[in-house]
This record gives sequence, C-alpha cells and structure tokens, in this order.
Amino acid sequence: METPATQTLPSRAKMLGSASAFGAALPFLALLLVGVSFPLFGGGYWGVIATRACIYWVLVSGLNLVVGFAGQIAIGWVALLTLGAYATSVLTAGNLTPPFPPYLALAVAAAVGAIFGLIIGLPALRLRTFYFAITTLGFATIVTQVALAWQSVTGGGVGVAGPIFPEPFSSLWGFYYFCFGLAAICTWMTANVAASRFGRALTAIRDAEVAAEASGISKPALLGAVFMFSGAVAAVAGGLFAALQSYITPDAFTLDLSILFFIAILIGGRGSILGPLLGTILLTALPEFAAPLVAWSTFLYAVLLLVIVLAIPGGIAEILDFKNRRPLESERAIIPRPDLIERLLGALPDAGALTLEQVALSFGGVCAIDGLDLEIRSGQVHGLIGPNGSGKTTTLNVISGYYAPQCGAVSLNGAALPVFARHRRAHMRIARTFQTPRIVGSASVLENVMIGGTVDGEGTFVESLLSLPRHRRDEVMLRDTAMLALAAVGLDRLAAVRADRLQHSELRFTEIARALMLRPSFLLLDEPAAGLSADEIGRLGGLLLAIARAGTGVLLVEHHPDLIFDTCHRVTVLNLGRMLAAGTPAEIRSHREVVNAYLGG
Amino acid sequence: MVESIVSTGVAIGCIYALIGITYNVMFSASRVFSFTAGTLGMLGGVLGSLFIARMDMPVVVGFLLVLAAGALFGIVTEIVAVRPVLKSLDQHLYVLSTLALALIVQQFTAIEWSTEPQPFPRLLNIARGGFDQQFWLPMLACAAVIVGLELLYRHTLVGHAFLAIAEDNFAARALGLPERSLRMTSYALAGVIGALAGFAGGEMLLAYFGNAPMLTFYGFVPVALGGMGSNRGAVVAGLLLGLFQQTANFLVGGVFASVAVFTVFIIVLLARPEGLAGAAFQRRV
Amino acid sequence: MSMTRRQALKSAAAAAIAGGLAKPAIAANGPILVGYLPALTGPSSSTGVGINRGIQLAVQEINAAGGIDGRQIELITRDTQSDPTKAVNGAAELTRGQKVSVVFGPVNSGESLAVVPLLARTNTPQVHPCWVDSLTDPQKYPMCFRNAPTSQQIGAAANRYVVEVLKRKKVAVISDTTGYGTASVNAYVPMLKAKGAEVVYQGNVDAANPDLKPELLRMQSAGTEAIMPWSVNAGFLSRIINTRGDMGWDVPIVGQTTLGSGQTKALLVKPEYWAKVYPNNFRPVCYATDGKLSGRTSAFVDRLKSAKIDMGDTLLWWIAVGYDTPRMIAEAMKNVGTEPEQVVGYLNKLKGFPGVYGDISFAPDQHNGYPDNEVVMVEANSLRDGAFNLAPGYSA
Repeated sequence: METPATQTLPSRAKMLGSASAFGAALPFLALLLVGVSFPLFGGGYWGVIATRACIYWVLVSGLNLVVGFAGQIAIGWVALLTLGAYATSVLTAGNLTPPFPPYLALAVAAAVGAIFGLIIGLPALRLRTFYFAITTLGFATIVTQVALAWQSVTGGGVGVAGPIFPEPFSSLWGFYYFCFGLAAICTWMTANVAASRFGRALTAIRDAEVAAEASGISKPALLGAVFMFSGAVAAVAGGLFAALQSYITPDAFTLDLSILFFIAILIGGRGSILGPLLGTILLTALPEFAAPLVAWSTFLYAVLLLVIVLAIPGGIAEILDFKNRRPLESERAIIPRPDLIERLLGALPDAGALTLEQVALSFGGVCAIDGLDLEIRSGQVHGLIGPNGSGKTTTLNVISGYYAPQCGAVSLNGAALPVFARHRRAHMRIARTFQTPRIVGSASVLENVMIGGTVDGEGTFVESLLSLPRHRRDEVMLRDTAMLALAAVGLDRLAAVRADRLQHSELRFTEIARALMLRPSFLLLDEPAAGLSADEIGRLGGLLLAIARAGTGVLLVEHHPDLIFDTCHRVTVLNLGRMLAAGTPAEIRSHREVVNAYLGG
Repeated sequence: MVESIVSTGVAIGCIYALIGITYNVMFSASRVFSFTAGTLGMLGGVLGSLFIARMDMPVVVGFLLVLAAGALFGIVTEIVAVRPVLKSLDQHLYVLSTLALALIVQQFTAIEWSTEPQPFPRLLNIARGGFDQQFWLPMLACAAVIVGLELLYRHTLVGHAFLAIAEDNFAARALGLPERSLRMTSYALAGVIGALAGFAGGEMLLAYFGNAPMLTFYGFVPVALGGMGSNRGAVVAGLLLGLFQQTANFLVGGVFASVAVFTVFIIVLLARPEGLAGAAFQRRV
Repeated sequence: MSMTRRQALKSAAAAAIAGGLAKPAIAANGPILVGYLPALTGPSSSTGVGINRGIQLAVQEINAAGGIDGRQIELITRDTQSDPTKAVNGAAELTRGQKVSVVFGPVNSGESLAVVPLLARTNTPQVHPCWVDSLTDPQKYPMCFRNAPTSQQIGAAANRYVVEVLKRKKVAVISDTTGYGTASVNAYVPMLKAKGAEVVYQGNVDAANPDLKPELLRMQSAGTEAIMPWSVNAGFLSRIINTRGDMGWDVPIVGQTTLGSGQTKALLVKPEYWAKVYPNNFRPVCYATDGKLSGRTSAFVDRLKSAKIDMGDTLLWWIAVGYDTPRMIAEAMKNVGTEPEQVVGYLNKLKGFPGVYGDISFAPDQHNGYPDNEVVMVEANSLRDGAFNLAPGYSA
C-alpha cells in the first residue's frame, strides 16, 4: 500500500496516539494488577465471585461488540451461554460422542457458539431493532426448551455435570487464573477490534448507517464476523460457567442472567471497553455486598438501566471521560490547507466520467426526477442547483444506489453502476457527504475521519483481533492519512475531540475529510455550504478547486450561488425534477429562465 | 376435543390480538414499540384479582379501577420511558427505557404480589358451562375494542387526529395538532386496552407476574406477522397464533409447541420482515 | 480524618492480607457456624419458607437449652432465590468465606445439583431434603446426607397407591415442562410399567397453557383410570383439578405433594373439586383415623403453636423436616464434636434418629435416611393446619 509521504504531520499523530494510548491502557493495567494479585486479599469466597465476574466478562466482552459497538439490541444472549455450557459439558461427559478432554470440548463449544452466534445474529440484517430484540428472546427460550427435551444428551431437567479442567486449573485459584487469563485475552482482543477499522465501522453502522455504507462498509460481512466472535466467546463463557457451577440444569440459565449481561454493557457505556468491564464487575459483585437486597437485584438493575438511559446515556465511560470535559476554544476558525490536497490524494488516474442518461424516478405518482442527463468529469466541479424539491438530493441518492431509477442509466465510464449495492460505491472510489452530517458523535473527530478509509485496510477481522502486523500497518496508514485529511480541511487541532462537541460547520468539514480518505475519483457533496459563514464558504471553494485539480470529479449540490459560480466548471439547473438548463457558470448566469425562476435576479 | 382447542385457541388468540393492538396504538402515536405492552396485560390480571378478590370490591368498580390503572400506567410509560428518548429515536433508546420500565413493574409485582399464580375472581355470577365466560369474555373484549377503535377513528375528531399522527408525525405537527397530548392520550388508550386484555383473560391466565414476559412476546407476534400498525392484521394473526399454539400444544406437547411457535415466528419474519400483510418501509437518506 | 490517604491504603491492604491469609481461628467456646441455603424468594420459594420456620425454631430451642456443650449455634442464611447461580455463590460464601461447620440445604433440587459437588470439594458436611436420586452418592459425596425421601420413594409410593390400593391399571402421567416435571415423568413411567400398569397417556405440558381440557379429553378417551401429575406449579395442578371437575369426570388424581398445598386450594373453582385428589405426604405428620396426630408430632405442633408459628399457609412436613435437621446435627456434635470427619462418621452410623418428620437412619453406603413406608398418600381436602388425613386404604 502506497501511503502519501508526509513528514511533519504524522509525528504529531503518533504523539497524540501514543500518549492517549497509554492513558487509555492505564485502567486496564491497574485491573490486571488487581486481578493477578487477587488471591492475596480475597478469600476463597471472593475467589468464586471474581471467577464468576471473569466468566461473565468473557461473554460480555463479545456481546459488547454487538450491543455497545454495533448497537444491535441482543437481549437474549444467554442462549449462547446455555449452548456453550451444554456443549462443553456434554462433550466432556461423552453423552453424544466418546468423551472429549475439557480443553478440546471448550474449543468445539467455541466453534458451535460461533455458528449459532451467526444464526441468532443474522436476523439483525433483516429486522428492525425491536423485532431483533424479540427474536433473540425467542432463541433464548428455544435453547432452554431443547435442553429440557433432548434428555438422552442433556439429561433433561436433571441436567449434566460440568467439566472439570485438569491440573493446574482444577483448584479454586487455579480455575480463577484460567478464567482471568481468558478474560484478559478477551479484553485485549476486543480492545484491538475496537481500535481497528472494524470497531470504527461498527460504531458507524450503529450511529450513522448511511455514512457507513458510503464508506464501503459491508454490514452483513462485518456483523457476521462480530456475531461469530461474540457467539464463540459466549460459548467459551458457557463452558467455564458449567465448570464453576459444577452441574448445570436448564433453570440455571435465567432471563435475569441475560438481562444482567445486557445491562452491564449499557451501564458501562456504548462504544467503550472499560465501561462495560466495570459494569460487569459491578453487577456481579453488588448483590454480594447487599445481601438483604438480593431479591430486589433485577429490580435494581432495571432502575439503574432506566436512570442510565434517561440521565447518562454514555454510562460509566462518559463519567470517566475527563478528557472531553475540558472546554474547547470558543473562537475557532476552520482554515483549510488546499496545498495538502495533492499530497493527500496523490496523483489520481483519470477516472473518466460518471454519467446519468435520461434518468427518471417517481415516488407514488409524484415525479422526483424526470429524464435527467448529467455528466461529471474527472478533475471538474459540476454544480447541481435548483429550488427545494427539484430533485437534487434524489439525484445524489440515485448515484449512491439508494433508489433504482425507473428508466435511464447511471454509468461509470460506460459500465452501469449496480443498483442498491451502496457500499460498492466506495470501492469504485465514489465518495459522498450528506445534507445533515452523518457522524459518530461518541467517537473522536480523527476516528470519524478514519472511517472513510475503511476499504483501504488490508488486514482481516481476525488479524485485528490478534493485533497482527498487517492490522498495525493498516492503523498507522489510516491514522496518518486521516491526520493529513484533517489538516487539509483545517481541523487537525480538533482531531482528538469527541465529534458531538463540534460546531455544525466543523462537522461539514469533517465529512469532507472522511470522504477524502477514499482518495475519491468522484466526490458527491450535498449542500456542504449550508450553515457556513461567508468566510468559510470562500475557503470551502478553494478546497473544492484543489480537490478537482488533483483529478477528482466533484458533484456539488448547492443553494449558494456564489459558491456555485466561483468554483464550478459546469452547472446543471433542476426544476421540478426536470433539467432547466446546463452549461458553464457564465451561460447559466445569463440564462433567462434560470434567472427568473431561481436566481431571482 | 376440537371444540375445546378452538374455543381456547380463539380466546387466547383474542388476548394476544389485544396486546398486539396495545403495541400498535402506542406505535402509531410515537413510532415506538414498548416492552410494557405485556406488562399492561399482566397488570390487568393482577390488579383485577387484587381489587375484586382480595379487597372485595364489586366487579364493576374493580373493572373500572383496573382500566384506570392501565391508563395511568400508559401515561407513566409515555412520560418516563418514551418522551425523554423520542428526540434520539435513531439510537433506539426507547427499546432500553421501555424494557427497564417493564422489568421494574414486573419485578415489583413478583416481590410484592407473589411469584406464584394467584386466583382471579369469577366475573359474572353464572354457572360454568361448555362455552364458559372465561372463553367468551376475551372474545367480547376483543370485539368491543375493535368496534370502539373503528368508531373512534372514523367518527371523532380525536380519532382523525390519531390517524393523522400515525400517518405522518411531522406533517401533523405542522398542521398544529397537539402532538404531545395526543401521544399521551394514545398511551392512556393503549393502557386501557392492555389492562382490559389481562382482565378479560384473567380467569384463563390467572393473576401471575410471569404473564408479563409471556404476553410481551406472544402479543408482539401478531404485530410482527400482521404488519406494524395494522390492527386488523393483529387480530387475524393473533387468532391464528392462538389456534396454532393450542393445536401444537395438543399435537406435539409442551416443549415442542413453544419451539414450534418461535421457529415459525422467526422464519416468517425473516422471509417477510414487514409482516404477512404489511408493506415495506421506505427509507430516507 | 487525620489519616493520610497513603496510610489508609496501607492499613487497608495489610488488613486485607491478614484476613485472607489467616487460618480461621476455631474458638473452642465461640458459636458453631451453621450455613443454611434456602430459597426464600423467587418462583419456588414456598418450600423454603416452610422449612425455614422449622429450622429457626429448632435453632432457638437448642440455643435456649444451652447450645452444644455450651456453644451456641449461629445460623448463617443465604437466600438462593431459587437460582442455581446464587446458590453456588452462597455455598462459596458459607464454606470458603464463613467456614461453617455444616450446611443445610439447598432445598430445591436444581440448586442442590450444583451445590452438592461444590460442598464435596470443600469437605463440608451437608444435609439436604431434595428428592432427585443422584443427590446422594456416598462414593462421590461422602459428606452429603439426605433426611428426606428420594424421587424413587415418592414415585413408588404414588404408584403403589394407584396400582395396589386403588387397583387402577390404566394411568395417565402428566407434568409441566420444567426440569423437575420432565425428569419425574421419565423416571415414573417405567416404574409404573414394571408394576404392571398400563401408561395410556404421557405428556409434558407448558405450565402456562391456560386450557388443559384437550389433554384431559385425550386421557379420558384413552381410558385413563387415574391421573398422576408431577409438578410443583400450583397453577398447573389446579388447572388439572378444575378441568376434571368441569368435565364431571370421576377419576382419582394421585401425585405431587403440591396438589395438597394451600396455593393449589386457592386456585380451585369449587372446593368440592378437591375431592379424590391424593397428594404425597408422610405418615408421621398425618392425622390418624381418630383425627389426631401421633404423640411426638402433636407435641411438636403444640410447640409450634406456643411459638406462634403459622401452619395455615404451609405444610406441616416442611416445618418438620426443617425442625429435624439442626437437631440431628446437634445430636451428632454433642456426641463427637464439630470436626467434619467426626460428624460424618457419627451420621454414617445414625440409627433411627427420632425426627418429627420420620425416623432417620444412615449407613456408610446409604446416605438416604428416610424410611420407605413413611411415604404415603393423603386426602387433599382434609388439609387442616398443614396436615392431612391418610388416603383411604392406609391402615392407621
């Protein structure tokens, strides 16, 4: 992978990265220390509780990627704990096969869990949130019922003995260290994913799905991988759970347990690893401190959930996020540096033209676009103007693949663009921004921009889990490029700030930086100047020209006459879905109908 | 035997349909599916038993109090769990807030009422017969709600406003409709319907906290299969579900029956996420 | 606060280390710690609540009488909420945290299945009243004793009553879909067949199913002469009884002890429907033909009454088994001290410990202490102060 050669900026990025990385790792190191030395100050009883917390965290760490990062409301994840517990126990006991050694049984359970994680998770691709939540509850019931019914294997209601791991993990503390080790590995792996392009893509799916699609993120592939991982670790947690319980019956796998896992994540905070980890420890240990309240524990969890949702949606992670409480400078100007564009985009090959021919589309009888011709050429800025409802954004959405034109063709250099394959656009180097900025508010500005480069990563999900070299190379490359893109749009000083703290105009430039990460052949901008000050609009124009100079074809949907006439090479005017006029800015400026109908001059 | 399966299937189907309508009424007003729908049904049974059997109130008084309590819980749901998160509908926080509220009420009932099913009083003092009141009361309640909603939607101003809100929230607000009070009224109405479902089905289902999650699930099946927001779809799908469940219970036995219901539900949803009768949602960018 | 933060941390750490490393000092005259794991809340807590009354009373009496060689019994209770995971946590706290000398319970089988192997690992003597057969095993769990009948004994008594006393040959066996229900049906059907009965219906039905009429119609058309329900769910059991009553079907119902509980009674449509319902119970806590309890039991009931312990909303045998357990342990400790091996050694040779609930005997290879012939069937509708009349056919 050829990365733009940069000298000054990456060093800043690296410094920023390493300092914050150490700060972020500090709580984990502290927990690691406490965990390793736990036998020194916790008696055997606390050993059992700590072991339980570790086991629950193994499950929650994986579920966290599903719930906390991808935002999928998987309430019934206890189904996978049940599955893993039974798979490990049954295989060790030899009810179905010759007896397996416990470690092998645990590994097989992980594989089974991965498959079922996929099966339970896949409805998420088809169903809306609440529907998905209910189906996961359905699966939780099915698994328990099957465990009850399949007596010859699961022992039915009488249950089956859990596995006993051989020395040195058979003793209380030995087993604790085994579970603690797995919990630490899960923490490390999920933290790796969270800090990878996959983790950022998950949060993009959660908070800004259309932006994720525009950045080339394939939701099915990514969610599939995450569900498999989550299912596998949940099943491993199940095997450990069975060993800790020593004996499992279907009634050990209550919905309350599932609710506990789910709430631990939300109390911890979505999009965080540390928060849910603390949440899991808290919810596991709390009932042990408040014995008289034991009967009320699920009630209290529910109250806690309600309070969190209403008062601190960011959970523990938000409370611990001191960095983002520091006030930002109030008078901030966005000073883009068009001179960096060439370094960022490199020498783009001539991509030819993006062409719309006689495209027509209507919604329920209302004509949105009617026979539109449009040609966006490499290295040019093409303006698309028209009053509200004239079909500008609809045109953008046809190009992006949200709507299938009822007739006409959209083609890239003569080849038709596939309809509805929205995430394929990014692979063809077609980038876009949105009328309302689509940003992951809880992620930093830098991370938001890095989302734009997702398709350029080479490492696989597994490589990210294990932090293998290709993953690390991807991260360095994406981070450097994103810093460069931020510098180019003039936002590098805000790189580490949470994106939801930015002003509207800054979000617009953030979106442009994210789009530039693709080194796009074509860049579609949906009213980028809306809400910008006159100065900022001027600078935006300069930036767009620099982008075009680098070889990108820009489609600029805009209301702002100045920006259009100052930057566009060609302009198309729409009215009620029809093309009113097309030509150079000078021609348009003097087009009588346009002046009358639209420019009002 | 067939007659017994049919009468129970239809009766229980009517309860599912009513809970489905409860979901729909809340959904139409707020685009929110609330986990409290089944909780309302549970409360209808528990409060009915509390007022009439334990506190010895006359049936009519107890009945009215149950409906009032349902309406109150509906309003509380709107204020506590829906209104504060409506702004951030994108994040689906409503799933969490309504889940939390449902759990709170359910756990409270379990601890303060009982974890065992409690008797529900006989509502009408007539002899038990083949086609008993425990079967026809839910059917009557379901019919009354359908007719009542039709009348409300077609012939009253408030009903028209409900329809307008359901059709297009933004447009309705732009027209100057009092969106917030309409939403509260909808939630109160949903509360009444849900509590009525639990009350009418009290003798069948008993006054039991565990009915809450059961009804939350089985009441959602008609919504999912009948198409969201469609009351007619909910009634048809609810009746089918009731009959299917009773038949499966009888033919293959308890363990496999619930697995069968869940499996059919999930397969149908995956094949037609918009429901058997519903239309696909247009997405907006 | 004059202590600096550093000092506070230091002393806290020192205390923690000392607490963690120090061996439990067994004071020769300190209280004897006894762990107790009942389910006092949660879905199947009525058993635990009943047993708890007996245990509390026994501990009070023992302590009031001077304790065990001058040492008081301190009962440490952890509510398991009918949840096996909480039971495991509770067992860990009792054995590893509190270092109790002996554990009573858990009182539900699902919890005991998990707790028994764990207690075996910590060498803690245990006495529990759970029925599942595999819950005692002198080889695997040498310190675990059962002072109540096994599922085998329970089922055998019910089967014997149906086949030999009522002389019914065509039997329907029904349960809910819980672990207890399904396990019972699977264990009892072969036993019935071995006794020469014909099982004409066998089924697991969802306890939430509001209408059991199709099931009963199916039983009826199969020629059923006795229905045997196995469930602890009062709602489910009452539906069976109600449906039978509504159908006007004159078939005996013989089975789980909950058939006779006050919970079930409350859910009946008519009190008359409770006729010809014969739940399991235990002879020592039943009324004889003269309507009186045996001498030992009636003295116990008098003590309960004077201690103002409510019997109306529970079953006498629950209180009785709870009452017997601490007394049995106290007897062992009075004789051989509190060392686990000694207590177990004593229990291994226990012969006819006179419990209110029944005479308990153990042997080194037999840790099921309840005598077969004390498991009987009773008339549900004779319930009075938690006790019943024997079912017709039992000699007094």
